[in-house]
Amino acid sequence: MSPLIAHTDPVMDANLMNAEVPPGAEFWFGTDAQGRDIYSRVLYGARISLTVGVLSQLINTAIGVALGMSAGYWGGWWDDVVSGLTNMMLAIPSLVFALAIMAILSPGLTSLLIALGLTNWSYTCRLARASTLSLRNQGYVQAARILGYGDLRIMLTQILPNILGPIIVIGTLGMGGAVLAEAALSFLGLGIRPPFPSWGSMLSDARDQITTAPWISIFPGLAIFVTVLGLNLLGDGLRDILDPQARARTA
Amino acid sequence: MLSYLARRLIQTIPILLAVAALIFILFSVIPGSFASSLGDDGKSVLDAETMARMNRELGLSDPIYVRFARYVGQLAQFDLGVSFRTRQPVAVVIAERLWPSAQLALASMGFAIFVGVPLGFVAALRPGSLIDTGSMVLAVSGLSLPKFWLGLLLMYLFALKLGWLPSFGYGDGGLKHLLLPAVALGVSPLALLARTTRAAVLEILDADFVRTARSKGMSETRVVRWHLARNALVIVLTTVGLQFGSVIGQAVVVEKLFSWPGLGSLLIDSVSLRDLPVVQGAILTIVMIFLVINLTVDALCAAIDPRIKYT
Amino acid sequence: MLRKVAIVAALSLAAFAAQAQAQTPRKGGTIRFTAPYGSSFASLDIHSTNRTQDEIWAKAIHRQLYNWDSVANKPVPELATSVTASPDGKVHTFKLRQDAYFHHGRQMTADDVIYTFTRMMSPKVAYPGSRYARGIKGALAYQKGEAKEIAGLKKIDDFTLEMTFDEKTDPGFGFMNSYLSIYPADEAEKDSFQSKPIGLGPYKFVEYVPGSRMVGERWEKFYKPGKPYADRIVIAIMGEAAARDVAFRNKEIDASVLGPAQYVAYKADAALSKNLLEVAEVFTRNMGMNPTFKPFADKRVRQAINHAIDTDLIIKRLVKDKAFRATSWLPASSPAYDDTLKPYAYDPEKAKALLKEAGYADGFEFEWTTSANESWGQPIVEAVIPMLAKVNIKVKVKPVEGTVLSEVVRKGEYQAYIWSNTTGPDPYEALKCFHSKTPQSQCNYVLYNNPAVDKLLDEANATDDQAKRIGLLKQVNKILLDDAPVWFFNYNKAVMAYQPWLHGLQANATELALQYYEDLWVDDSSPAK
Repeated sequence: MSPLIAHTDPVMDANLMNAEVPPGAEFWFGTDAQGRDIYSRVLYGARISLTVGVLSQLINTAIGVALGMSAGYWGGWWDDVVSGLTNMMLAIPSLVFALAIMAILSPGLTSLLIALGLTNWSYTCRLARASTLSLRNQGYVQAARILGYGDLRIMLTQILPNILGPIIVIGTLGMGGAVLAEAALSFLGLGIRPPFPSWGSMLSDARDQITTAPWISIFPGLAIFVTVLGLNLLGDGLRDILDPQARARTA
Repeated sequence: MLSYLARRLIQTIPILLAVAALIFILFSVIPGSFASSLGDDGKSVLDAETMARMNRELGLSDPIYVRFARYVGQLAQFDLGVSFRTRQPVAVVIAERLWPSAQLALASMGFAIFVGVPLGFVAALRPGSLIDTGSMVLAVSGLSLPKFWLGLLLMYLFALKLGWLPSFGYGDGGLKHLLLPAVALGVSPLALLARTTRAAVLEILDADFVRTARSKGMSETRVVRWHLARNALVIVLTTVGLQFGSVIGQAVVVEKLFSWPGLGSLLIDSVSLRDLPVVQGAILTIVMIFLVINLTVDALCAAIDPRIKYT
Repeated sequence: MLRKVAIVAALSLAAFAAQAQAQTPRKGGTIRFTAPYGSSFASLDIHSTNRTQDEIWAKAIHRQLYNWDSVANKPVPELATSVTASPDGKVHTFKLRQDAYFHHGRQMTADDVIYTFTRMMSPKVAYPGSRYARGIKGALAYQKGEAKEIAGLKKIDDFTLEMTFDEKTDPGFGFMNSYLSIYPADEAEKDSFQSKPIGLGPYKFVEYVPGSRMVGERWEKFYKPGKPYADRIVIAIMGEAAARDVAFRNKEIDASVLGPAQYVAYKADAALSKNLLEVAEVFTRNMGMNPTFKPFADKRVRQAINHAIDTDLIIKRLVKDKAFRATSWLPASSPAYDDTLKPYAYDPEKAKALLKEAGYADGFEFEWTTSANESWGQPIVEAVIPMLAKVNIKVKVKPVEGTVLSEVVRKGEYQAYIWSNTTGPDPYEALKCFHSKTPQSQCNYVLYNNPAVDKLLDEANATDDQAKRIGLLKQVNKILLDDAPVWFFNYNKAVMAYQPWLHGLQANATELALQYYEDLWVDDSSPAK
């Protein structure tokens, strides 16, 4: 959608003669140090930032649910392995982990998805495991077992639908976290592959111009703020709807 | 109880080993080396011969399995190795950073607890009201800005515009220099704590034993004070425990911005200089702190709430 | 224009000197300096690090045999009162100062100098300074364990040292580096030395808060009478430009090195603009092109790139005039700088014609390795991309960390890179990087190979006639311009903002952030106690 509503190309339409123009009729959000239209870049940046936020969280959720649910359902040595893995992932500072992955794979969208998608599944996993444990001996799961359903089928049709609510909540919150993590990685010099914009890289690049040209950072900053705040409030709202007896949990 | 603690402690060993292996492998395949980091400013680049000698001296020219075996051998003797850049034992390098890190973590958690928990309480007592929404938006909004940006804004406001606080540095280690980085770092546990507290209080208010207490004619305040406080405390403590460890790791960005001499800035510098023994040592330390804190929290919870059993 | 700037710089320096004379330096107070190139110091053993960031603290604590003289623009003996060279340039006799005392109170003697250079060649530890100590006779034999000591270091008496080199050598340029600081032979062997350095410098080590600051106090027995002026020096480690900006405006630090964005802001500010020190530094920012990547093997393509980029516009609008247009490799402050050279004109049509001649009328795509640096990294690359697109050259950016940049460039694992390279103070050393015998891992990053240049460089090295040497080097510089092994971007203009109460800053062209702190003083309007 961005190409339709953006005025200009976010990379090629740079005109250094128009650098650091304040917001006005021609450039709604002003221009950056390279003379690029910030409005267009915020729109294109949304593509990357939101892609990173949504996809990396989907990966996290998939990993977390698969590991957590299977561990809770089967128990035994597999449960021990998964619990160990989860504890390990919880304990390693995820930003440093992601930073190392980015340094190895070199910046870019795929690397970001891998770095942020592999490092934040532990909460989902814990939750999925705990919920599965409490459901495992419920009547309808037992019934399905007596009916001869396979383990996989039981997990997917009987357990998953019943634990999905809180997991969606965590996923929503995690999306906001991923958008912020992308910004932090940009600040540390390993984010998206330039010159394509992401909100995080725009904000990080503009930090030295905060006094001379504040608009360069205000708009991507606002975009992040509104998005993350929105995702968080959405998550809280979903929690109230999906999970009235919300147990204390961490996201 | 004691046997439980002992078992938990033993369980941490495989975790630590796995972390050591994972970090070792990650940082072995990472491009760049300590020797190449000495030339990153393009000014006085090391000559090729010194570079080769340096790699040999630091043991970097050996194959990865040899290096890993050597590293595990060291770890088994509780030796974290020697820093590439300072040539001091890694334990010494890390020890210097522990107190500032602890200060920052304590201050930011303190900020999160003293603002977040009351916010959560207030929100829960009138669920669905404007106060509820307002306090939740407030709690979450601090979290919704990237930390480096929030930190910069705090600096501008409280140091430059208002002149209340110094903008950077460690000073004499006092509160003055601690406040801004602590707030910048504390906003995300704050949001989480407010949210968890709210959920916990709501749940407890709805629980049978509170209803019973109310029906027995206990006054509202006593209900809130007694049952609520105790039960909510367990949940809050668990959250704090989980967050405490991650705060030390998350401090990377904030410490770099505020020139704070903690573990986070040590870690990020060591990563960019490829001082691998320190990177590994610092991460292991952070992981260990995390595990110990969570163990302590579990023990505390048991002391507060006798219903929690250990199996 | 470059000349003019050099003159302006010289004038501002003169103004400093005049100011310094007009006011008697105040004794006392605290200097609050900043180390802007990262968020830590690498080590407190200055022998083991050659980073500029570490030299910033070393200048307070340590001293070397030579110092850089910012006014005369050359290295001068510092810990020696005189240095005499034998006619063949191989034997140098150092008469050492007899008034230099280490911070633990002991007088420096020839033994300490011998100890320092012997340590440098340690068989066990690889020190960056071995690059310069290696030339001493017998140094390599010692390093290999074939000799008990270095044969070329001979103590004549306590304050006379004879140093013999394998080849004709001018030791000043090498020995002025902080990583060749003279250590006390007794103390440096102790473990405590790694955390409490002891040196000959104007300030005595007090404390180091890793990742935050270093503090020194006046060394009363410093060898320059009456100096240093200030009681204390605090060097704050502040890698973040934005944070430094706040701290400077908030008067928490006395000096700050500025990037382009802040340079504009400070120049526009009535109060801040009065206290800016500008210096043409000896760094050349450039895009190196790898000749093993087929298009870049063709000189016409490299010239086309130089024509296709509107370098002046980038310098003016993006770098905010905090740089001088590069005309070939040697910078304006180099003695062999050639002011008759004309830079490549911005001419996309000519660039297209050249590309067509070379068989790339439809353009090509290359991968450009860059760090995030604001003056010679990602922002510059982003500005160049649309310009090259106009001549059908596509750019794929490969962002890397500084550490990785310096590694891939030296291994030749790149198609193009952008970097800032030292091009001084010695013009021969700077141009030797283009000698075909210089390995890529050393500094011939672009695998330059031109027999004519090799010949000129060899002649320049052999001659003792300074004028002839400069003439030969100028010829090399001119050939480089035509061959365009790199995109000649700019020479850095370093800018330091300082508070009105800080006096005595030196316009150091080798690196502005390196100051001799004994000449700095603060008047009593400083808010620091």
